[in-house]
Amino acid sequence: MTDTTSVLGYAWPMVVSPGEEVAFHLSSPSVSKAEAALVRVRCGDPDPAGPGIRVLEMDAPFERTVPLVHQVLRPGSCAIVADAPPLTSFRSFTVGAFLWPTMPGDRAQTILSRWREDTQEGWRLGLDAEGHLEFVVAAGGRTWRVATTAALLSREWVLAGASWDAEAGRLAVMVRSADPQAGRDRSERVEAAGPTGLEWPAAVPLVIAAHATDGDGQLFDGFYDGKIDRPRVHASVQPIDGLHRLCESVSFPTADARVVAAWDFSREIASERVTDLSAHHLHGTLRQMPTRGMTGANWDGSTDRWTDCPAQYGAIHFHSDDMADAEWEPTVRFTVPAEWRSGFYALRLRAEAGDEPVESFVAFFVRAEPGKPRSKLAFVASTGTFLAYANSALRLDQVHAEAMLEGVLTLSRDDVYIQEHREVGLSTYDTHADGSGWSISSARRPILNMRPRGNVFNYGNDTHFIDWLDETGQDYDVITDDDIHRRGVQVLAPYTCVVTGSHPEYISREVWEAFDAYQRGGGRHMYLGGNGFYWRIAYHPTVPHTIEMRRGMTGLRTWEGEAGETALAFTGEPSSTWRSNGRPPQRLVGVGFDGQVFTHSSPYRWLDGAKDPALSWLTEGIDLAAPLGDFGLRGNGAAGVEIDRVDFSLGSPPGTVWLATADRLGYGGTPAPEEIRTLHRGVMGDQNAQVRADLVYFPTANGGAVFSTGSIAWVCALSHAGYRNNVSQLTGNVLRRFLDPRPL
Amino acid sequence: MLVTYPEAAHWPIDPDRLDLVEEFRRQPRGPHGDELQKLLHRLRWAGDPDQPGRYVLIVTQPGKEWMLGRLPRQRGKPIELMRNHVFTSIAEAEWEVFKLRWEAVTGRTLPPHLSEKLA
Repeated sequence: MTDTTSVLGYAWPMVVSPGEEVAFHLSSPSVSKAEAALVRVRCGDPDPAGPGIRVLEMDAPFERTVPLVHQVLRPGSCAIVADAPPLTSFRSFTVGAFLWPTMPGDRAQTILSRWREDTQEGWRLGLDAEGHLEFVVAAGGRTWRVATTAALLSREWVLAGASWDAEAGRLAVMVRSADPQAGRDRSERVEAAGPTGLEWPAAVPLVIAAHATDGDGQLFDGFYDGKIDRPRVHASVQPIDGLHRLCESVSFPTADARVVAAWDFSREIASERVTDLSAHHLHGTLRQMPTRGMTGANWDGSTDRWTDCPAQYGAIHFHSDDMADAEWEPTVRFTVPAEWRSGFYALRLRAEAGDEPVESFVAFFVRAEPGKPRSKLAFVASTGTFLAYANSALRLDQVHAEAMLEGVLTLSRDDVYIQEHREVGLSTYDTHADGSGWSISSARRPILNMRPRGNVFNYGNDTHFIDWLDETGQDYDVITDDDIHRRGVQVLAPYTCVVTGSHPEYISREVWEAFDAYQRGGGRHMYLGGNGFYWRIAYHPTVPHTIEMRRGMTGLRTWEGEAGETALAFTGEPSSTWRSNGRPPQRLVGVGFDGQVFTHSSPYRWLDGAKDPALSWLTEGIDLAAPLGDFGLRGNGAAGVEIDRVDFSLGSPPGTVWLATADRLGYGGTPAPEEIRTLHRGVMGDQNAQVRADLVYFPTANGGAVFSTGSIAWVCALSHAGYRNNVSQLTGNVLRRFLDPRPL
Repeated sequence: MLVTYPEAAHWPIDPDRLDLVEEFRRQPRGPHGDELQKLLHRLRWAGDPDQPGRYVLIVTQPGKEWMLGRLPRQRGKPIELMRNHVFTSIAEAEWEVFKLRWEAVTGRTLPPHLSEKLA
């Protein structure tokens, strides 16, 4: 068994041009050094039934032995407000906010604090280990505490606060339930003895959704799970009505000098800043990217997008397991030689640790330098999809996984690691520890399933196409989703043909429109996958290689978004599927997602459309009476896993030539949720011809064209029988013609 | 928040239907008849409620060798590796897991001719 996890790391940036520097941020808890090599990836799938792992060691000036130290991952999001005189200029005060806790009773959690854990000084409002609201004030070795008698409910809004009356020497906690009916009421006020005077600790940040562990303001603990809306600090003792007025207020006249801070999370939603509306301007910074643009306690259902009424979206959903930046120190840096071809690359790290050899890869991509293509062909690294699936724990956490995959779960060494080490941060397929959906994914952390020898879905499958290109001697450039998003069609335009791989599923508006413009401009697009152009995502406006998606309530969703929360915080755009955004994939690539099949994959059968003599270039050397792709590494067929179909009512162009179909998928063919309008039996693939994979071709404007296979399994059939098979032949026929500049 | 529950699969299993056991043994990877599909759905969805975790396979040599394990239901808790249960084919592993599940859900031991390893 190869140990793939004792050394982990990430490359930053994840995508570089020749001549640019990439830094590898590495860590190992057990290995002090590793033998390092830079490799070009040809095939990342270790399956012995296929080509196997194929990497080319690059001749590059690079340190061969890399020293390693253990670098800790610190998940958990919070807002940090740097210390400032107004935060210590008062004695008596009230603090509070609207709360929607998601894990009360799981462990102690801090909501608002100016607290040093190491010296146990300051104040903090939080939930105790049983879920009671508690308020703690401490100084000089003495601690005063007050807590509610009832634990808060999960996923129910409350107004929650506390006060210290220094004159009377009293502490109070107070809760008012937004819905006090039918067993939900947790409203109460509890008082206890407090100090009459104390010294606040010096130089401690005010922290929202956590507390500082020491005076440095760098490390935090006590992370809270759930939403916080409109937190306030007021230098007076307020009853619950007074706190309620403060939290409902959205403007704070300077006449009330007792307003210490009043944060409005509905401002600058697309940023990592939180805004204080008070005269003190105690603005804060977010760490580990909690989810913004979330419905607040005042959301009334009048809109489902924060851009329509930001005031109803003043909540941030904090998660104790948010992870957007590993913050590891760089271990080694490398400047990519100017002469390197673009491609999938990795740093390979080998070491001996105990009984098993360590071999761990850290992936990065070298893009073709913008404006300087070296080939007429570009292959797109689906980095949006790679990020969406980064460290997926779907099979570990989700009840349906084994039934969906039609067999006992087979887990890799990486899965074993992720089960135990959730601090690496999960994928947009997963839920946070509190059950809410994971909507943000960043490359500034180790990604175990985007590298050779990792789980093969997406990255590993796509390398089968790279392997085929190398095998057939076809030159190509590699470009990435990230580049297409940033620079638009100019990234695609220099190429006569652009190929998207097995699963270009996660697409921003910018990427969609770049492909649309490319096709209109005479470009040739080969889409050799399934379930492509499916979800609408956004890239972070300033942080590279960071995506956001919201599942909403349609589409094949492993979690369901909350009502009112389908708009992306990064851009304000709606998310969910492209089909529900008026752009079914059929419109762009002729076919669109309709189902999954994991029992077995199937061959296609040729249709009359393929027999048109004008398309002889496409079918040359292929027996149209024989099944197309009755072999392959994914279910022993070229049509399978996730599949797409033609539908003219959903936008397949009238000029679509329907070449072949695989519509006899058996009982394992399961339709996508959006393919079923009403409930009835007979929807599975053994009875329903709409669960199928279709192969299509259509010409576009200015001599361009599109060829789509509608199946994830396609590229994993290319290497069958020494690459001499009809899937390989057809792919080659189309590619050859698509690279020919004569109009189609 | 829409949640899926492991106890939701409730197709009644008849412990006398050894014909379904025989059908699975013949073709662990399918295709399966309608009733065997329903039996398998129940077992797979439920995820071994009598065990400390769901039975899973750990790939020890890609495409060649797998080890049985138990995946705890609690995040962060390590997968239990069952080093005495190693398989050289997925079909063999599927059969072993099926037998464990059948006996757990029916409370009955399989007759000798159905409790052997897959040939």
